[in-house]
Amino acid sequence: MPSSEPHRLAATDLVRLIEGRELTAEAVVASCLERIAEREPVVRAWSHLAGEAALAKARERDKAGQKTLLNGVPFGLKDIFDTADMPTTYGSPIYVGWRPASDASAASLPRAAGGILLGKTVTTEFANAHPGPTTNPHDPGFSPGGSSSGSAAAVADFMIPLAIGTQTGGSVIRPAAYCGVVGFKPSFGLFPPAGMRINTEALDTVGIMARWVGDIALFRAAMMAIPYVPPAMPETAPRLGLCRGPHWDEAQPEGRAILEAAADRLSSAGAAIHDTELPAECAEGDERQTTIGSFEGLRNHMPELYRHEALLSNRLRETKIARGRELSLATFRKACRGAEKARAAVREWAGGFDAILTLPAPGQAPRGLASTGSAVFNALWTQLWMPCLTLPAGHGPDGLPVGVQLVGCRHDDARLLEVGLWVERQLGQGDRP
Amino acid sequence: MSGAEHLTASEAAARLAAGTLTAEALVRDLLERAHTRAEVKAWVWLDPEQALAQARAADRAGRPGLLVGAPVGVKDVIDTVDMPTQHGSPIYRGNRPFADAACVALIRAAGGVILGKTVTTEFANRDPGETVHPHNPAHTPGGSSSGSAAAVADFQVPVGLGTQTGGSTIRPAAFCGVIGYKPSFGEFSRVGIKMQCHNLDTLGVICRSLDDVALMRAVLLAQDLRRVDRASAAPRIGFCRTPQWDHADGDTQALLERMASRLAAAGAVVRDVALTPADILNHHRRIFEFEAARNYAYEYEVHGDKLSAALRDGLLTPGRALPLSAYVEAIETAESFRGNLDDLFGELDVLLAPSAVGEAPAGLGSTGDARFNAIWTLAWTPCVTLPAGTGRKGLPLGIQLIGPRFRDEALLDAAAWVEARLD
Repeated sequence: MPSSEPHRLAATDLVRLIEGRELTAEAVVASCLERIAEREPVVRAWSHLAGEAALAKARERDKAGQKTLLNGVPFGLKDIFDTADMPTTYGSPIYVGWRPASDASAASLPRAAGGILLGKTVTTEFANAHPGPTTNPHDPGFSPGGSSSGSAAAVADFMIPLAIGTQTGGSVIRPAAYCGVVGFKPSFGLFPPAGMRINTEALDTVGIMARWVGDIALFRAAMMAIPYVPPAMPETAPRLGLCRGPHWDEAQPEGRAILEAAADRLSSAGAAIHDTELPAECAEGDERQTTIGSFEGLRNHMPELYRHEALLSNRLRETKIARGRELSLATFRKACRGAEKARAAVREWAGGFDAILTLPAPGQAPRGLASTGSAVFNALWTQLWMPCLTLPAGHGPDGLPVGVQLVGCRHDDARLLEVGLWVERQLGQGDRP
Repeated sequence: MSGAEHLTASEAAARLAAGTLTAEALVRDLLERAHTRAEVKAWVWLDPEQALAQARAADRAGRPGLLVGAPVGVKDVIDTVDMPTQHGSPIYRGNRPFADAACVALIRAAGGVILGKTVTTEFANRDPGETVHPHNPAHTPGGSSSGSAAAVADFQVPVGLGTQTGGSTIRPAAFCGVIGYKPSFGEFSRVGIKMQCHNLDTLGVICRSLDDVALMRAVLLAQDLRRVDRASAAPRIGFCRTPQWDHADGDTQALLERMASRLAAAGAVVRDVALTPADILNHHRRIFEFEAARNYAYEYEVHGDKLSAALRDGLLTPGRALPLSAYVEAIETAESFRGNLDDLFGELDVLLAPSAVGEAPAGLGSTGDARFNAIWTLAWTPCVTLPAGTGRKGLPLGIQLIGPRFRDEALLDAAAWVEARLD
């Protein structure tokens, strides 16, 4: 066990090693902090780092010695969530220096499970499009994706084994894929949203990132305050629906090639792969997404528009908020009803498979930091409230990670993680790092 | 006192716009009334100078917007940048948010004055605040939006904001003899409102006129005002006693039966309807417990000793123990229930149902029973309660009208038709 570099270990291993007193939580936190000190000047994943406080918590945990689910494992939290002991900016200059009165549930629940919060990770402005300073840890000339930019980059760069993000369009799955980690967006509403700054209530979903599917399962139990049952490797190969989707022509060559190659590989390993297309009710999903986001966006940003309009980015004001001013209530209602119909329609379709296999992003991360990439391969699944899991599956022309995405039946999140375990093993990424 | 405290927000807005009333004079009358009637204890924060300063600013600015200086009371689970926000809990004593809630900012943007913060039960749950019933101080005003309902009923403010997770807007409004309105789920922004249950929490309005409901809808949705149509055709009404009918007291049952007959006699099509599944309240309870136990994680884990035993041991601890499968089953049952209602509303305009089990109960220990409300919170349908006479203790009774989701305007029109045919 490379315990000289605990920051590289899986959370499930750390839990076991700390329990067996082969490692202390303090040593783990110290190792993560060293890694951060070394790499943060380039990666810029953190908007606030609470190193001393985390070390103190770790020492407390080591002294108490009581076993907990997360047992002293460090984690990071997207700065779209409130924390009582750390600044919370929502990625906006308006909130610089703000200290909320309480922790979001996404901070409280993992902390109560023995996790140690190292700090707040960079988010785009209000989890929208305007990027923060984070770079892709594989090459600083590329975007890490967003809006959960810092969480994805920090996990990929071995700064922390676990991190929390949010997804309204593609903000967990896409950055996870761009950074080469495992990203999980649960079924809508299953992770508690209290203390998360709302982006779009009908879509916002709290999600998590790790380097292993097994770690996702562990962290999920902490995030939901439910009993932890480690996922079992399926005994039989799954039945997968290969869904290239309506945006296939927007996929980059490496995205297409890696999805097809993954399908071939999984098929060779025994999976039944069936080409499938989305039910007709899913058409206009993108328009609905824009309508719901923009209608809510104008109203949800009224506190900032009323007092601090000049401090909102031009991008936010000129796109989402401007569109929100033009939209009628009737259009918003129609979009909500359309999304409901689509959710009903995909139930039976998705139920025919153990999971849908699709792209998590068009391909590798975009060059430069101006754009965090396109959410066209994510937004519909978010709207459908289905659980999504992205796994690293290869590399693009610039050596950057490219992933595949598995989508499960709504509320069947535990099964999706089991299918994910199987797929993870077959894709040969089980040897990471 | 000039009597402006008796104006509805719409009436006040008309006079303010015409220049026959100033926001300062209106606010002075309301403050005077609140001072005289301090024993109602509707307010957890009411700073006369602060309210008057806002009113004067509105007057100086030429009274812009739909509210033109009319004041609103804000339930204290809703963030305000210039007033403490304490959620009815000692954990948040003196808490000052950094920003207004979206609904508060929308009211300010529409030229409204935030008069003060109204009493809420602990975290919009069951442990009561100090507010008493304005018609009889020995009785509860209902909850959790206790202060908003009592202040509106007592003419201390024309409009109050409430929230409803079980029955927290409709029930106190019915108990206090005023109008309560819960919109279709998903329309009013919840930014800056303390989150209890993400699948249930709904911002609502308490007021004394259906016109004010329409006015507040326009303000809170940043839309043009869509006035209530008071000349709409007789609605098709489903008389929905609900599976909880046996829990309604005799006065309430008699009131509802009488209303159903009267509305039929006045030209409405009225037919009996049953709800399926009949055990829908159990599913509401599961969602309530599971979500509250996780959304109040910080309070439960870090400040458990400062929570009421009723909240901690009665709701949050059982919610932690509830299996995920039971919660998921409840979410899915709720969705089929909503589908059943959509079908029902294919042939009906509104449902008629009790607003509460009866009059406001005696004593301040309990804010009453939410069983006739929780059904419709889970349903995500718009609801309105109208005052409809009194019970045997002389306290108000209400009737509740429920419309199809996203047809709130039609519900208000039907409610106006019904209102015109009450005693």
